[in-house]
Amino acid sequence: MSASVHKETAEDLARSVRDGSRSASEIARAFLERTGRTSDRLGTYLHLDPESILAAATAVDDRRKSGEPLGPLAGVPVAIKDNICIRGVPTTCGSRILEAYRPPYDAHVITRLRQAGAILFGKTNCDEFAMGSSNENSAYKPVRNPWDPERVPGGSSGGSAATVAAREAPLALGSDTGGSVRQPAAFCGVVGLKPTYGSVSRYGLVAFASSLDQIGPLARSARDAALLFDSIVGRDPRDMTSRPEAKGVDLEELERGVKGIRIGIPGQFLGEGLDPEIRACLDQVRDGLAREGATELDVALPHARYAIATYYLIAPAEASSNLARYDGVRYGLRAGNGDLRGMYETTRGLGFGREVKRRILLGTYALSAGYYDAYYLRAQKVRTLIRRDFTEAFGKADVLLLPVTPTPPFRLGEKTEDPLAMYLNDIYSIPASLAGVPALSFPAGFTKSGLPIGLQLVGKPVDETTLLRVARAWEKASDAARRAPALAEAAA
Amino acid sequence: MSTAPKAIAGARERYEPVIGLEVHAQLKTASKIFCCCSTRFGAPPNTQVCPVCLGLPGVLPVLNERAVRDAVMVGLAVGSKIALRSVFARKNYFYPDLPKGYQISQYDRPLCEGGSIDIRSGEGWKRIGLVRIHLEEDAGKSLHPEGRAGIHTTRVDLNRAGVPLIEIVSEPDIRSGEEATDYMARLRQILVYLDVCDGNMEEGSLRCDANVSVRPKGSTSFGTKTEIKNLNSFRFVDRAIAYEIERQIGLIESGGRVVQETLLWNSEQGVAESMRSKEEAHDYRYFPEPDLLPLDLDPAWIESVRASLPELPHALRERLVREHGIPEYDAEVLIETRSLASYYEDVAARSGQPKLASNWIMTEVNAIRNRDGLSIERFPIQADRLGALVGMIGAGSISGKIGKQVFEHMLTDPAAPDEIVKRHGLLPIDDEASLLELADEIVAANPGPAAEFRAGKEKTFGFFVGQAMKRSGGRAHPEKLQAALRAALAKQA
Amino acid sequence: MRIDAGTVRKIAALARLRVAPEDEERYVRELQEILTYVEQLQALDVEGIEPTSTVVAGEPVPLRPDEEISSDVRDEALAAAPDREEDYFRVPRVV
Repeated sequence: MSASVHKETAEDLARSVRDGSRSASEIARAFLERTGRTSDRLGTYLHLDPESILAAATAVDDRRKSGEPLGPLAGVPVAIKDNICIRGVPTTCGSRILEAYRPPYDAHVITRLRQAGAILFGKTNCDEFAMGSSNENSAYKPVRNPWDPERVPGGSSGGSAATVAAREAPLALGSDTGGSVRQPAAFCGVVGLKPTYGSVSRYGLVAFASSLDQIGPLARSARDAALLFDSIVGRDPRDMTSRPEAKGVDLEELERGVKGIRIGIPGQFLGEGLDPEIRACLDQVRDGLAREGATELDVALPHARYAIATYYLIAPAEASSNLARYDGVRYGLRAGNGDLRGMYETTRGLGFGREVKRRILLGTYALSAGYYDAYYLRAQKVRTLIRRDFTEAFGKADVLLLPVTPTPPFRLGEKTEDPLAMYLNDIYSIPASLAGVPALSFPAGFTKSGLPIGLQLVGKPVDETTLLRVARAWEKASDAARRAPALAEAAA
Repeated sequence: MSTAPKAIAGARERYEPVIGLEVHAQLKTASKIFCCCSTRFGAPPNTQVCPVCLGLPGVLPVLNERAVRDAVMVGLAVGSKIALRSVFARKNYFYPDLPKGYQISQYDRPLCEGGSIDIRSGEGWKRIGLVRIHLEEDAGKSLHPEGRAGIHTTRVDLNRAGVPLIEIVSEPDIRSGEEATDYMARLRQILVYLDVCDGNMEEGSLRCDANVSVRPKGSTSFGTKTEIKNLNSFRFVDRAIAYEIERQIGLIESGGRVVQETLLWNSEQGVAESMRSKEEAHDYRYFPEPDLLPLDLDPAWIESVRASLPELPHALRERLVREHGIPEYDAEVLIETRSLASYYEDVAARSGQPKLASNWIMTEVNAIRNRDGLSIERFPIQADRLGALVGMIGAGSISGKIGKQVFEHMLTDPAAPDEIVKRHGLLPIDDEASLLELADEIVAANPGPAAEFRAGKEKTFGFFVGQAMKRSGGRAHPEKLQAALRAALAKQA
Repeated sequence: MRIDAGTVRKIAALARLRVAPEDEERYVRELQEILTYVEQLQALDVEGIEPTSTVVAGEPVPLRPDEEISSDVRDEALAAAPDREEDYFRVPRVV
């Protein structure tokens, strides 16, 4: 029986724990066993402690035995990106500077997951401080794509996407600043949701760019993503940027189909550089959804092409400030002998990797006296223009359909020497981040060579439901979400 | 170290100092500005800390409502314009006692703008304009153990990190160290009246940095300014500014030039030392704090805060003069604190003697308070008892001299003054029989002087009065005693 | 904007980052490339456009009532310090 556990949806796993047909311990053991077979090859985890996982599962089983109510995620393992704090558990953010760091507190989402009965299942590998699009910026090891281990899983939540795709864990949390949930979800063929900015508390998410960061779920299906989202959404008094109107998703809503839903496609924005196979996939999904009753229209996002330039001023600027706290004084790495200044510079010079340093330098420059107006302030104004584009588009459309990435997963090492080329990869994911609107990557199809293609749905603020509903409709209409990577099949 | 060349005699008169103060006041909130940690002073190191004020990875600030309210109260009290939208910003710099590597402050959109504080200048009053008042968080404390050989470390205590501060920035309207001190004292008084700051400079609840420049009298442009930091007592404010004015004039008079720099007041040596070697050119890279939304205030809420403002020192002073007819000088002394003023008002009302009440508080009461370091709240004689005493004196039922004796008893005896008078036999002697008896006794005991008086030496009469008063313990009614003495002296002639 | 080794050294100092001399050239090149790319924003007319510093709209989270709640993290926090002396964090002396 446990041999099939990994194929089940999180929803079914939780149900089986609640009705007693499976124990949480049995589920935990099954996933630990599978993870043991593939995670070294994939590089998915930075920390995994079977003992504490089994102990948490036993606790769920005990609660059931004593008749206590069980939460919606009872007994379901959820892998956690390593930039989300769990009390007493290493939280490195993929960085040397936090190598041995164990936070003394739980992130809000962790508290919520514990309440929901979820089993916290290890800390997933990621690009250092969530900065990257390939997961090659982890200070510890790269993550490999389960569909082709020579290729990147995307980033920065590469470990979370890969572990779900490889059936090592049914659910995972990632964080998305400019596409860090959606892009790896697309590269790994899973569902990844970046909620509306402010829908999920950032308390306990190690900050990269505060005005953009959001925690989001990764899952193999829209319903599972909804289930996980529903468990973490909502206002938190510890996060002043959390939204009052944030709301969860009713799973039954997802089954309503797409009849009457107006799908906007920003045709002009999808020009140059878009891989023809992805373009073809998008057309196919568009037509398929039209057959299901959706209406299609063209929308304009005239300023979306400025999104990368805008993002690469705002995000590094905020990051340069957010990462100032890693100074060797209170926690984390300390290096260098001699004076204080030398300690700071050596600690940070050794502790941060190249990409992080590059962004700190860029952000420091963008904020420095004399350049603030030309760079940071101007970027904030362009951000306003980009937001307005979305507001206008949503006057006509209920949801926008566009690619997540311009290309399918690329090879490890292919772009590491060209940071700008790496940045340009985020062209389609960044606009929604700047606008703060919800966006979802869903498995849409495959390339001829068998690599997953994810497409993106972007919605109105706090309308995650419509995104999941459209993705759910496509799941029913195609088999894209049902295929598993050969590696996962072999491990079974 | 900057040395001060002696200003050429008389040069002082040719220059006008231009001074602006930046005052940091710690608000009296129970918890810190962005987290729930205690703000208590003097706790063991690093006991009042949490993930937020330690700047741990992943934490977020949550603004304390009371800190906003307190800052708005101050703004309203000094006539500032309260911004309906103000914005928190990050001020980025590295220092071991700054846990996040940035201080959350307000930059281009402060909470309060404008306003003023009236200070004493010579015989009159002078208005000092305010630029702004903004909210920010305090840093922790770096301790540098001094004087121990081989100690090359700094210790950091973060109890203070995140304590709410307001920074009050004045216009460069101040012209001397004395004016600066008076400005500080009046600002402090307002903060204490509002009950938003304890005003304790020694514990760092109130800190002052001064921007000082000098210019030739009559000039309207500003000279190059220096900033003196670390002025943590009224005396240092006065001395450091006086020192710096002298230094700048001396420098210019001897053909030098003032360099814009930050100085640190060294109170032990009485000199301002340059901090140039200790810091590079600042580039704080301010930007709006993305973890906090702009602070939007409801005008109705601001009005409710305004309605809750207590009577402020200047209004109280004017009212005391108006309602009680006491001199402005008295009123100034009596409004030292709000409770002293209400103590006074209580004593004045109960005694029906406003001026006498003021005299008694300014002299007798304050002498004891100063001697014993007592606030009026802890002064042993409550207003009702002092009121009764002053009333008795005012009505002439006891003399001022007896009043002082009664007052001394009252410091340790909780009884009412008339009770004390009775118990200690301090009632005045004014019946003729007793006085005559006393007079007879004194005259009989001093036959020599009596003979001299009778021989026409009128001056000797004073001697008898003195003796009789002494004998009565000061209780004898002066006029009646004189009459009795004259009668006694005449009788035995 | 032209970036040179001096600029990189200046901002690295501001950010307290040690940049190895052999890496300087690389950062100059990369930052130059990125800054050249972002130059495209200069072509946009942003006259009169309000800057966006947050995308949160609607009724804000209420401010925190002024209540003192003590935290239990102190010992863990001090134990995590790279260097401590008694109950203080210890750093090389501020020169």
